[in-house]
Amino acid sequence: MSHLLELEGVSKRFGGVRAVDDVDFYADQGEIVGVIGPNGAGKTTLFNIVTGFYSPDAGKITFDGHNLVGLKPNQITKVGIARTFQAVRLFGAMTVLENAMVGQHPRTKAGVFGALLHGSSTKAEEERVQAEAGAALDFFGDRLSPRLNSLASELAYADRRRLEIARAMATEPKLLLLDEPAAGMNPAEKDGLIELIGRLRDQKGYSIVLIEHDMPVISGVSDRVVALDYGKKIAEGTYDQVAANQQVIEAYLGKSATQETP
Amino acid sequence: MRAALTGDNVRAGLIGGVVVLYLALVGMIERFQDRDVITGVIGLGTLLILIGLAGTGYMASRPPKPRSGQEPVSANPALKGLVAGAVAGALTGGVILVLELLISAGADVRSVLASVTPGMLSTLEFGLGSFGGAAILVALGAALGAGTGALRLLSDHARDTVTFTVTSLLLMSLLEPILGAVLDGLGLPERWLYQGGGLTVLGAILTVVIAGTARWFWKQREPQRKEAVASMPADRRSLYRKLAVFAAVALLVVLPWIVGSFISDVLGTVGLYVLLGLGLNIVVGYAGLLDLGYVAFFAVGAYATGILTSPASYLVREEGQLFAEKGFTNFWVALPFVVIIAIIIGVLIGAPVLRLRGDYLAIVTLGFGEIIRTLVLSDWLSPYLGGAQGLLRVPPAPPDALDLRAPQNVYYLILVFCGIAAFVAWRLSDSRVGRAWAAMREDESVAEAMGISVIRYKLLAFAMGAGVGSLGGVFFAAKIGSIFPNSFGLLVSINVLSVIILGGLGSIPGVIVGSAVLVGLPELLREFAEFRLLIYGAILVAIMILRPEGLVPNKRRQRELHAREFELGATAPDEATA
Amino acid sequence: MTTPKTSSSRRLRFERLPLRRIILISLSIAIVYGVVAGSAATIRLGTYTAADWRTLVINGIARGSVYALIAIGYTLVYGILFMINFAHGEVFMAGAYTAFFVAVAFGGSGYLNEHPLISIAAILIVSMVTSTLVAIILERVAYRPLRGAPRLVPLITAIGASFFLQYTFRGLYGAQARAYPTINILEGTWTIFGASILRKQVIVIVAAVLLWVALFAFVAKTRTGRSMRAVGEDREIAALMGINVDRTIVATFAIGGALAGAAGILYVFLFNQVIFTMGFFPGIKAFTAAVLGGIGSVTGAAMGGLLLGVLEAVGPNLFLTGAEVPSPNQLQPVVAFGILVLVLIFLPGGFLGAPEEKRA
Repeated sequence: MSHLLELEGVSKRFGGVRAVDDVDFYADQGEIVGVIGPNGAGKTTLFNIVTGFYSPDAGKITFDGHNLVGLKPNQITKVGIARTFQAVRLFGAMTVLENAMVGQHPRTKAGVFGALLHGSSTKAEEERVQAEAGAALDFFGDRLSPRLNSLASELAYADRRRLEIARAMATEPKLLLLDEPAAGMNPAEKDGLIELIGRLRDQKGYSIVLIEHDMPVISGVSDRVVALDYGKKIAEGTYDQVAANQQVIEAYLGKSATQETP
Repeated sequence: MRAALTGDNVRAGLIGGVVVLYLALVGMIERFQDRDVITGVIGLGTLLILIGLAGTGYMASRPPKPRSGQEPVSANPALKGLVAGAVAGALTGGVILVLELLISAGADVRSVLASVTPGMLSTLEFGLGSFGGAAILVALGAALGAGTGALRLLSDHARDTVTFTVTSLLLMSLLEPILGAVLDGLGLPERWLYQGGGLTVLGAILTVVIAGTARWFWKQREPQRKEAVASMPADRRSLYRKLAVFAAVALLVVLPWIVGSFISDVLGTVGLYVLLGLGLNIVVGYAGLLDLGYVAFFAVGAYATGILTSPASYLVREEGQLFAEKGFTNFWVALPFVVIIAIIIGVLIGAPVLRLRGDYLAIVTLGFGEIIRTLVLSDWLSPYLGGAQGLLRVPPAPPDALDLRAPQNVYYLILVFCGIAAFVAWRLSDSRVGRAWAAMREDESVAEAMGISVIRYKLLAFAMGAGVGSLGGVFFAAKIGSIFPNSFGLLVSINVLSVIILGGLGSIPGVIVGSAVLVGLPELLREFAEFRLLIYGAILVAIMILRPEGLVPNKRRQRELHAREFELGATAPDEATA
Repeated sequence: MTTPKTSSSRRLRFERLPLRRIILISLSIAIVYGVVAGSAATIRLGTYTAADWRTLVINGIARGSVYALIAIGYTLVYGILFMINFAHGEVFMAGAYTAFFVAVAFGGSGYLNEHPLISIAAILIVSMVTSTLVAIILERVAYRPLRGAPRLVPLITAIGASFFLQYTFRGLYGAQARAYPTINILEGTWTIFGASILRKQVIVIVAAVLLWVALFAFVAKTRTGRSMRAVGEDREIAALMGINVDRTIVATFAIGGALAGAAGILYVFLFNQVIFTMGFFPGIKAFTAAVLGGIGSVTGAAMGGLLLGVLEAVGPNLFLTGAEVPSPNQLQPVVAFGILVLVLIFLPGGFLGAPEEKRA
């Protein structure tokens, strides 16, 4: 069976540091995969490689039948992968709606002539953009939709995270890469996040890969968990399997901790 | 009084004194004195001195920022102003005194400081000699400082009226070339208002009275007015807006007939810079690319037009018959070709350099501008481009019957071009393309992640800018009739940049305001022309520090420039800590 | 939501059509061909003797030394603030022009040639102090208020400041060019290794080298130098380590200014003239030099300056005479700016700096 996203033997060095070291990774249609590992393990680098911001030194990456290696980020988005960033990066001076509308860019094609002539097809496209953006925002209930014309920079933190996800959704992806979506959230918000991620998969059919440090969130959403350390994959399986893995525990707590007898 | 003698006040006074001295030593005061503000009463140079002193007082008398933990000690603002003004006057007077002493001791001050002329000195001394001058400067400084400080004690309403009246007086005086021409053009008498380049006393009094009373009542009604506007139904409001636009357009159309030939000519130049500004606005304002070599496209447009339309161009010359009767083709046929050529050159130049970072891109484009200027000036290319002698005999735009070189008609030509450019810019900004540019401006990496090919959109902006710039060149060539390389220096690029920065990056009405101020005023007020670039430089710095979004800001830009506090910073996505 | 459209592979491949790469490669080929062919033709023509070339090269080194000193100012400020101080050329001009009056005073009384060393020292000091002051004022008034602003803003401010300074000095001192009085000990030639070289050129080169060595030692060894490097690496951490960031930045500007002031006097030794616009071209060329050598690197700036000076002096004659370009020296700005453009396109990290990581 071929996977939706497949990485084989992917490696990336920065100078002497092996940020990603011969990693095999896959995600299937409709799956939610959690990626964990201590800081510096190479998780975000992996995302950057998949989305085209870095090119891998070695390895193959395929998505939905396309080869991703060598493609630029904007091309990869067109192929159907969208991401959010570790530090929320919205277009602060644009409104909530405008942020989401930018997400529709890869699915539309009006160019200079469309803008100047503003014919019926351009008008129709603009309406579609507004509709799709609005629909993405509606997914979050009454969090974002009542505030379509507020500036993105004025939103509360949790809403900014939501907007970032909405913007990614507007690109009509098949695969969503979420980079530490729970960072900075309180427990109630994290519960909401778990529910949201489930809904994203159930209602929208997205496949999701998320990087997280928060274990309850990971265990609450993931079908499968992959653990990285020093750029290498050290464990893979269900959450319980990975959490019990000796190497994973050592990676997080250090060798001596695992040697302590209770 | 003790409270007013703070270090802050004294420092404000010193700065004020330095400013007045600067204006004197750089030559502005003497040169501006040639112009009368109120004929027979006060010249512009003297007025500058007074403004400098008064301004010192005004700044010094600002209410202090509350510092935590301290009771704000608020000295009487009039006293604060007095102190600062007096210090400013003292510093100025003191330095003038020293200079006079040096001169009388035989030192040839003028060979070092070129502006220390008898004229300048007597203006600063108010004709009272060195000691008298120093004394009067201190006195004036104290009085004006106290006066402007006392303004702070008035109600906001009163202070606003006073400021407005003073500004109106100044504007009425400075706009004499325009308003005088308008009155002349309409066949009305102007002697009662203007005489000898400045306001008459009667005119000044009338201005003060009318402006003052009008503003007073206008401001008084402000709350009711705001209510009325807010409660107006939306369609009413849009009707008014449409009427306003219509009126503005109508005014634009009849303008040349009201203001006469000379001003129409000036308007033509202003229009040219509006056109260039609209083009550069797309590059700098929409796409965020700092282009310091915009003159290159202007040059390409002009020279291409010349080569295609002038009978003197190498395309037309035949052996034995140096000049043909007509050019290779005519203006209107050449126009689209010129624009296309410019766009191609824009893409060729842009493709290698547009991925460079902001400062590097700026210098590279400056380099390109200089390269093109050197090339058109060179002997090497002079068989094709005319070299230092230029390319001559460019015919005006046909049909000859319309005489498209007369100032009024030139104005209409540029009006049409500007209209087209403005339409293009407006449509682009409010479209998918405009959104892509806005996203790119804020965060290139994220924009790329949103499916936007950043390099392609940068190229698009650059190409459009090239097209519009070349349009300016086409207009210029046809208007002037001869193309000389000296018209295409770095200064043009800087002029256009200053226009859009002053007006507001990304703002179409801003370009018009910016051009009117920066290009129109020096044309009308010759005294400013000499200090043009100095003033441009100062304005650029001041605008960036005080109001980077410009005079007529584009809403989004304003948010961008002030939203720093909320943004988490745009860095490359190597958050390699995960 | 509608199902995502799949882009056909065909469309992807078309997008990857490397138009840019084609343009870049054709450009490189054209330039390399032009340069090589032109040079070969010139050499074949034999218009210039070996002595001619030697003169040109030494001219280049002398000018390059001046550019190097100015370039260090750019590179220091860039290393610490990540901005190009466009107005640095005017800092250079301010010192040279102000010192002019001192020189004239000395020259008029004959003191200049009776006690040349003291006079030159005095002129040098006046120039360096003036330039330093201008640099410090510039930082305080124009740049400090804009420390956190988006990139475009300080850049535009710097351009504005550059013009403001130029025309201020025009207003203060007048618009015409002024000639420095002749300093006799600088005239004449020395014979070194059998070649006859202008004394002034030797002095300029030696002075520049000494200044560069002094600066290098300063940045490497002293506390201020270390602070400068620390602030350049990470401003916040440096502040946390107790470094007074503001003062360090002022020091950086001051040092750059002082060097520019010295460069101003050396420039005057070579070219004898001052005018309010004299800062513009050397400023841009010095910036080119700084980029050539890798912006942020003091050694790079110096090397870049020398390289640019030589290329600029030799280039037009070498590349263009053979190609039968009339008056090749007219096209000197094309060579200088051409180098700038090419370096920035192909080697944004400079010859000596690290190649910039492919834009992420």
